[in-house]
Parts: sequence; C-alpha cells; structure tokens
Amino acid sequence: MKNWFRSGSPWIWMTGGAVSISLIAVLGLLMLIAWRGLTYFWPSAIHEFNVQLEDGSNRTVIGEIYDREVVPIQRLLEAGVKIDPTLDTVERILVKTGNREYVDLDFSWLLGPAIKQQSTPAAVAVIERFTNGNFYGYPVAVEEDGVKKTLTSAEQLEVLVKRAVALNDKAQDLQKGDISSVNYELERIRLKLRSYELKDQLTSEIETKYSKIAEGLRAEYQIYEAQLFSYRDQANRDAVIVKDMRGEEVRIPLSNVLEVTYPNDMGIVSKIIHWFGNMGSFVTSDPREANTEGGVFPAIFGTIFMVMLMAVIVTPLGVVAAIYLHEYAPKNGLTKMIRIAVINLAGVPSIVYGVFGLGFFVYMLGGSIDELFYPESSPSPVFGSPGVLWSALTLAILTLPVVIVSTEEGLSRIPTSLRQGSLALGATKFETLWRIIVPMASPAIMTGLILAVARAAGEVAPLMLVGVVKLAPTLPVDMNFPYIHVERKFMHLGFHIYDVGFQSPNVEAARPLVYATSFLLVTVIIGLNLTAIGVRNHLREKFKNLEL
Amino acid sequence: MIDMSSNLTDAVSLDVANLAAEDTALEIKNLDLFYGDKQALFDVSMKIPKKQVTAFIGPSGCGKSTLLRCINRMNDLVDICHIKGDINLRGKNIYDRDVDVATLRRNVGMVFQRPNPFPKSIYENVVYGLRLQGINDKRRLDEAAESSLRGAAIWDEVKDRLHDNAFGLSGGQQQRLVIARAIAIEPEILLLDEPTSALDPISTLVIEELITELKKKFTVVIVTHNMQQAARVSDHTAFMYMGKLVEYADTNTLFTTPAKKQTEDYITGKYG
Repeated sequence: MKNWFRSGSPWIWMTGGAVSISLIAVLGLLMLIAWRGLTYFWPSAIHEFNVQLEDGSNRTVIGEIYDREVVPIQRLLEAGVKIDPTLDTVERILVKTGNREYVDLDFSWLLGPAIKQQSTPAAVAVIERFTNGNFYGYPVAVEEDGVKKTLTSAEQLEVLVKRAVALNDKAQDLQKGDISSVNYELERIRLKLRSYELKDQLTSEIETKYSKIAEGLRAEYQIYEAQLFSYRDQANRDAVIVKDMRGEEVRIPLSNVLEVTYPNDMGIVSKIIHWFGNMGSFVTSDPREANTEGGVFPAIFGTIFMVMLMAVIVTPLGVVAAIYLHEYAPKNGLTKMIRIAVINLAGVPSIVYGVFGLGFFVYMLGGSIDELFYPESSPSPVFGSPGVLWSALTLAILTLPVVIVSTEEGLSRIPTSLRQGSLALGATKFETLWRIIVPMASPAIMTGLILAVARAAGEVAPLMLVGVVKLAPTLPVDMNFPYIHVERKFMHLGFHIYDVGFQSPNVEAARPLVYATSFLLVTVIIGLNLTAIGVRNHLREKFKNLEL
Repeated sequence: MIDMSSNLTDAVSLDVANLAAEDTALEIKNLDLFYGDKQALFDVSMKIPKKQVTAFIGPSGCGKSTLLRCINRMNDLVDICHIKGDINLRGKNIYDRDVDVATLRRNVGMVFQRPNPFPKSIYENVVYGLRLQGINDKRRLDEAAESSLRGAAIWDEVKDRLHDNAFGLSGGQQQRLVIARAIAIEPEILLLDEPTSALDPISTLVIEELITELKKKFTVVIVTHNMQQAARVSDHTAFMYMGKLVEYADTNTLFTTPAKKQTEDYITGKYG
C-alpha cells in the first residue's frame, strides 16, 4: 500500500479522474440538449385516448405524448382529484392536444387509470398552421373553389396544400422584397425632402421632382399590393374540413396551413426525411406565434452577424493596443498599471458593459450622430437607439482584454534574433513589426479572437440593453441600399432562448424549443470557433519550427 | 603555435596603424561604451581596412561582440546602453543626430551567431531587404535573389525550391541564406558575429571559404572565439581583453610575433 502511494499511481488516478469528470460533464450536457432539442423535430406518433371523466362520461383526446411522470396518490387527493385512494402512485401523461382555439388548454394531463382505450389511428393528421399552432384531427373533406368534396386520398389534399403554400410563399416574397423596397425608397424620399426643408433649400423644383418619383413609387406600390391581395385571395380559395377530437367538423382555410402530415402512417424512412425537413425549416424560416412556432433564422443570422462585426472591430483595436503596450510603451510602472487594469477589465460583469454601452454608445455617441448627420429623421432615432453596431461595439470592449492579453503573449514569444535580423537589414521598427512580428504573432492573435468569439457569442445580458429584440422585422442585411444596416435592432439566439423559455405564454409548448435553440446556439458557437481554430492551425503550420 | 599554412589569405599586408584614408572603410575613435554604470568598452580606436577581412578575437565577455554591434548601432536596442566617441563611416560619425539608423544598417549588414531566417520562403528571405527599399519589380528581385544566393554559395542547393519555407534548410544552409539576405542589399561592410559557432565543422568550412570570397566585394568584420578560424580567414586581427583593444595587427604578425604579453598568453592558450 505504501509502495502504491509512493509509485505515484494515486496521483495519476486522481488527475485522470478529474479529466473524466469534466469530460463526462461536457459530453453529458451536449448530449442532453442535443437529444432533447433534436427529438423535437421527430414526427412522433399521434395517440387517440378514450378517457373517462370524473362524472362518468367519456371523452376522446387526440394528441402527442409530451411527457410522462409518476405522481404519489396523496398529492392528487390533496389537489381534489377523485381517484381510487388504495393506489400508491399513478402514472400521468402530458398530451399536447393542439386545436388551441377550441379547447381551454392545448396541453392536458391524463391520469393512467382514467384512460380506457389508447390507439394510434393511421388516418389522424397533424395540420401545421401559420397561426394558433398545430391542429390534430381527421381530414374528412376539402372545399375546392367553393365546392365541397369528400376526401378520398391524402394526395388530393396534398395537391391543394402545395398550391396554397406556393401562393403564400409568393405573397411573402413580394412583401419582403418589392413592397419593402418601395416602402424603403418612399421613406428615403421623405427624409430627403425633410433635410432640404431643414436646410431651407426646399424649392418647388425639388419638391416636384421628388413628388414625381414618389408618385411613381406609389403607383408601383398599388400594383404590388393588388398582386399581394390576389395571391392571398387565391390561397384562401380552398379549405379543409377536419373532424376534431370533440367530433365536430372544423373548417380550416388552406391559406393558414403550412403542412399536413400523417405521422402514424409514416414508415421510418419518411419519418427521417420529415425529421431533416423539420430541422431544415427550423434553421431557415422566420419565427411565428410570438416565437413559439416556426424557425429561428433571423436569430441565427443576427448572432453570427453581430459576432463577426464584433470580431472585425475588436481584432485591430486589440492588436494595435497590444503592440503599443508591448513594443512602444516605456517599461515603467504606468505601463504595468495599464496592463493590470486591462486584465482586470475581463472580470467586470457583462451587464455593466451593457449599461455602459447604453449610456455611452447609444445615447451619447448615437445621439450625437443623429443630431449631426440625421436631423431629418428626428424625432425618431437612427443611431440613437439600440442596434447591432452598438451591440458589437459593447461586446468588442468586453472582449478587448482577451485579445490584448493573448496578442501580447504572442509578441513576447517571438525570438529577439528575428527582430534583430530584420533591423539589421535596414528595416525600421514599424517595418519589422508589420512584416515579421505581427504575421508571426497571428496564431496568438487568432487564439485571442477564438476566446473573444466564444465569450461574445454566448453573451446575452448586455445585449438586452444595447440592441437585441424579441422580434426584428428586418435583418441587418438586405437588398436595399446601403445593404448593411448596422443601426437596426437584431435577434439573437441567446436572447431567443430566454424569451421563448421565460417570456412565452405557453411554457410547455416552448420547452422543446428552448432545447432546440440551445443546441443550435452551441452549434453556432462551435462552428465559429472551429473556423477560427482552422485558420489558426493553418497559421501555426506556416510559422512552426520557431524554436531556433 | 598555430599552423599558419592554413591561412587562405594572400593579401598585401597593410599597416593598420597608419591606414591611408582611401583604404579605410571605417574608423573607430576613442570609443567608450557603458551598460548603465558598467563600462564595457574602454577607449577603443582602430581603422578597419576596405575589402579585407578583419577579425576580433578575445575571451568571452571581452567586448568583441559589443564593439561589432556598435558599428551598425545594434546596441541602440539596449535601453541602458550609451556610447561616447566616434565611429566614422565615409567621414561621417554614425552616432551623429542626423544619421538615419535604417540607412546606416543598409550600408552595414550583419549576420548573427545563430541562423535567423524569417518564417517566409527562401526567395522572400533573400529579397526582404530589397522589398523594404520599395523594390517590387519581379525581374530585379529575381536577379538580385540569384546573384546573392550565388554569392553566398547556396544557389545550387536551393534553386529548385526557392519558394519553400526557409526553415526546411539545414543550419549551415540557413546561415548561408542569411548571408545571402545580407549581401542582397549590397552593403559596404558586412559584420559577422560568430557566424559558425552554431554550425557543424563541414558547414563551418563552407562558410569560411565563403568569407574569403566575400571580401572581394565587401569589407568583412568577423567576431570569432575560434583562433584557428581567425587565422584562417582574416587579413587583420584585433585582440581584445576586458573591454580594451590590446593589439591590432595583420593576422600573420599577430599570431606569429605578438607584440603584447597578453596576446601571446591568449593565443598560446594560457587563458581564455
């Protein structure tokens, strides 16, 4: 035993154990959110339950099983549920019944003993809708162009749904593309006129010139609008009649339908195809229903755009600051103090940066920019309100210390012999820095950037003050000049998780979305990091064998 | 005693003490150098002859490298270092206020103890100094690269892989590449700071042969701790001890009939 201790084995076991625990913790976390997040997209079976109510009457419940739990009977009795008191525990099932506008709650708990019958009928359909969530029921008929026809096959319905979806897509493209462009142009003309007016240069000549343009745009708008309405009307032509769990026939206009699926009738292959399709539409489509339905594309876009903007700001700033501190600043107490202050900045809580960003960037800087350059849009602010630029700047300050510290470390690792070699060839200090030192420190700069990106992409608290919103009507990048609109507010995956998880009217419905969005956020951060690590490895390869 | 038959030089002996101005590449006058309060060089005066090889020898810490680094003002990089006295290059004191250090270093090239190629391709290493001068014409760079690589006796070894990373070369090749890099900008004077101390004997031999070639075009000043090397490659040798220039004469004289007792003790191996 003594020998065993002296051999160092316990030490190896302890260190190895610590590594294993960390590894298990990380993998466990990732697997949990991946599992919970990804199963959300799986087309799960729809069950039909026959439930006996407390008064003895029967009721049919159709829905997806969301959760199961075993509860002690005592708790139910205390809650006033009439149940056989001889049992110890009872299993209960959480069922998502959908059909939000016809039932009180679209989630309900069913007690095990009350379920008299349970089946998964193949004819049950899930109807995904634009509004009011899913609808579960048996499609019985279609209304095609006002004519009611009994449904004979699933294909018959599918053709009509596809037609309506295509029309809806067209209408949406028109609204987001041409109509928003026209609106944007009109707004620009209004601002131009207003700025002439403010400068007292508004002549009738200018006015007629612009009003002519505006006239043309309005005419264009009329055409687009008519087209939009016609698309909508056409999409609204057909409807599907569905028998719901109350046994009543409900008419659902196809303009409100995204997709009709029969999960109980699907084989494993078509389930997998659907699974991937659902994941695809989650990452590519816009959110609906106060973010509890639909996709998260604007949030993904906003997160990546903001992080990249931040990287573009923080890298040059941090590198230049580090170069000054390391190469030019005299090596005295003041430099040391500055260095310590920089390192300590990394420990300031992020919300403090948010407050600073709001006060300094948004109100002071943004407000001044508005006063100087955008007097015409007053009183509505342009830069004087939270936006993606201010978010990126705030996070840039937040991550600045990381970049400075790792760049300095990289600079100090470069052998003096190389500096001297360059200087001896008649290079000035700046030329040596620019041509030799900074390129050689680039792997270290990338390390700093990786750490900065990892921190910035996961940061939510400061962003809530300086630019993130629950729902942004437009992306920061679009087809309208100047194409990149850094003053706009944006959506962010981290904030989306918070919003869906805590601010949503329907917590049960939102829970899987929280996991799915978390998984996506982790994926995005890992993706950003892997890109940066790839670049760094490439750079390292280039500058290896430095140990001269 | 050292076998003088290995001396490859057959130069006309110049009297370094009374060197004519047209034969002088560099004149050091009453040079004192301090690191903080500690004096490292004491009243050094010497004339370095043009297109000859001058060697500085002496025991470790005698100030021979420090003296060499004064010539291209590399000591400026040491904050606590300050200098009194003159070093005249073409009649101009290089420590005058109006002297541009970068221009000076372009005229006084330097090769260090350990090979220090840049993490770039062989070609980019050689043309680095030219690019610094703003020369980016491909043909001029190609010509300069070839002639300096030939001048450094490494062309045949690298001509097929000019665009490979310079770190792929052996230590001896790297050192010759660094020499090629230094001569590519055609300096007047080439300072070699123990250029073979990190190399194997065969690479050392190649570099020594190269040095005797180099003096046809450049004034070479070499610091070495290896007396045989000084005897083999140099025309003139300066022996330094404790920061003072003890004796400076043509190599043959210094090694065969040293005037000072200290020199004799050192070259016969009594200390150092």
